[in-house]
Amino acid sequence: MLSRRTNLLAASAFVAAAMFSLPPVAHAADTLVKIGIDASLTGGDANEAELVKNGVLMAIEEANAAKTVKGVKFEGYVLDDGTATAGQYDPAQAAINMRKFVADKAVLGEVGPQMSGAAKAMIPIASWANLAMITESATNPAMTDPQNAAQYRPNGKPVFFRTVATDAFQGPYMANYFADVLKVKTLYVLDDTGAYGEGIADSVQAQAAKKGIKILGRDKLDPKAADYSAVFTKIKELNPDAIYFGGVLQAGVKVVKQAYDILPHTVIKGAGDGLFGAELFTGAGYPAAEGWYATQAGPHVSEDKSTEQFVAKYKAKFNKAPDDYTITAYDGALVIINAVKTVHESGKPLTREAVRDAVASSKLKTLQGEVAFDENGDIQDKVISVFQAHENKAAPIDDVVSQFKYIGVAPQS
Amino acid sequence: MTAVDVYLQQAINGVSLGAMYALLALGFTLVYGILELINFAHFNVFMVGSFVGLGMLELLGVMPNDPALTGLTLVGVLLLTFAVTMVFSGALGVLIERVALRPLRNIRGPASMITTIGVSYVLFNIVLLGFGADAKNFPSPLPQVQFAIGGAVLRLREILIWVISIGLMGGLTYFVQFTKMGKAMRATAQDPDAARMMGVEVDRVIITAFFLGSALAGAGGLMFGLYYNITSYVIGFQAGLRAFTAAVLGGIGNVPGAMLGGIIIGLVEAFGSYWISAAWADVIIFSILVLVLVFKPAGLLGRIAPNKS
Repeated sequence: MLSRRTNLLAASAFVAAAMFSLPPVAHAADTLVKIGIDASLTGGDANEAELVKNGVLMAIEEANAAKTVKGVKFEGYVLDDGTATAGQYDPAQAAINMRKFVADKAVLGEVGPQMSGAAKAMIPIASWANLAMITESATNPAMTDPQNAAQYRPNGKPVFFRTVATDAFQGPYMANYFADVLKVKTLYVLDDTGAYGEGIADSVQAQAAKKGIKILGRDKLDPKAADYSAVFTKIKELNPDAIYFGGVLQAGVKVVKQAYDILPHTVIKGAGDGLFGAELFTGAGYPAAEGWYATQAGPHVSEDKSTEQFVAKYKAKFNKAPDDYTITAYDGALVIINAVKTVHESGKPLTREAVRDAVASSKLKTLQGEVAFDENGDIQDKVISVFQAHENKAAPIDDVVSQFKYIGVAPQS
Repeated sequence: MTAVDVYLQQAINGVSLGAMYALLALGFTLVYGILELINFAHFNVFMVGSFVGLGMLELLGVMPNDPALTGLTLVGVLLLTFAVTMVFSGALGVLIERVALRPLRNIRGPASMITTIGVSYVLFNIVLLGFGADAKNFPSPLPQVQFAIGGAVLRLREILIWVISIGLMGGLTYFVQFTKMGKAMRATAQDPDAARMMGVEVDRVIITAFFLGSALAGAGGLMFGLYYNITSYVIGFQAGLRAFTAAVLGGIGNVPGAMLGGIIIGLVEAFGSYWISAAWADVIIFSILVLVLVFKPAGLLGRIAPNKS
């Protein structure tokens, strides 16, 4: 008994001595800062997930090469929120991923998720840890709505930021486009029962009605079902000028195929950014995809002069053209890196809280232009770009940027 | 479209869907009839069948978005693709029986059924890892021929589904009712021990049941691809569950019952989506199942079988 206690004492004395005699950390290796990356790498949205993940990794690599923040080495920590059983993003998996990020002390910021349904599961967990999240494409407005503060900011300050606009703009602006530009009089609205799909379909429906478009009906499609022919037969009977589909590609591919098979080809077909992906062309393909409108909740910069260099470098590195959300993801990573830099250079310790505050007040020139956030975490410049699928035989079928023709910016009112 | 046209169109949609469920339901019923085993691996044999069909069509040079084939080429390509897909899927079913189920055959309790769930997930993940998670564009070699019946449209692909389903189901009924092997199957279903004493090779009967059931599931998978022009690794679960429901609804273990159940489920899905909402399709289907089972526990055409054990 006695000897054991003595040993213990001796051991703790030794440990204490060792601790105080360690050299100061400044001379040691660079501080490691991890940036979490959550994307739906499994399932229907895997192609886009790969693009955005690579965008973030590229930003991290560049920051390390250029030594943007002296004494800090960045590392990407990639987790997949898609599961095989869901066939797309899985909110439960997204929550597990966020717990992993929070559990890793080196993670000071996170880029993603792509999907609003995943974001809703992640934000409350991130809030308790004060971990700043920047999404490149989760556009459901609920997450930044101050009315939902109890749910998404249980710890007080907003932790969820976006480098894209929200469906509160994406949906209604597209409804404006339907009414003002395409002169649609009657509309049928569909969604895929997901958080994003339902939200954007609701917002389109509300704004379209306000604009005097008659809503002939609304249906919800199970993304795992194969057969929507009964619904499209019903739509054919009602004969609307246009249909709008709110949802992502798992249901989207089948919607595109069966709408082409069943509806008259004169019906105008529109969707949000959920349809804007390679699988539209590899899964549904032409002629079914021809003529579909889709939007992006950000400025169209991936074919712009200002991003030429970035696009060329990205293509050379990953052998695939980046899309607009690759750029908003890259921008998100730049914002986090810059926030870490601000905190580090001010001499304050690198904590999640300090990085969050720096993200909230950042004003940074990025690829899409200047990124700054309002008090809820939403981006200040809200631009919705409209595209239309049009077969481009010269480009590869999965080159989304070439298969979608940029039409212009959607009207704001 | 007038109301009559819409009803006709929904009936066409429903029967086509039902024909596919019926083919798949037959596999559940065949195996259950003989082994009293619910074979959940069947779900994904169907899914694998659609990928085999896709591979075979591409091997024959029929690519997605190619112009449609005509005449003898079309018939030849379809026959060959169906034959290869069905033989491959049938062989897969036999392999599953031989490797995963036979060693467990004499163990009482749910071990075999749980094993089939495991096998189902193995197939699911092999396809996921091998071919990726995105939906695959399926070639459509069928010409876009369609007939207008009033305002409703009957397309060649629907006719094809009906003809092939009726043909396969007729063939199966003939096989079970009039061939020696079919007689052996019915005997084994009634009483395996007595059948064995009468000289029936029960192992061969079981292998035949797995082969036939899985071959029909493979044909169903290929038809799914030709009909929707799409396939993906997730298609097995929903179609499989509906088909299983169809088999139970019609009376599991009963061959005509499986066909009837399939058609009913297909029609309920189409009209339920039309009258109420697509989102409620599952609720309607499974409510009907519950109601039928409450009043007729053995299913529509089933008889309560004497307890074998």
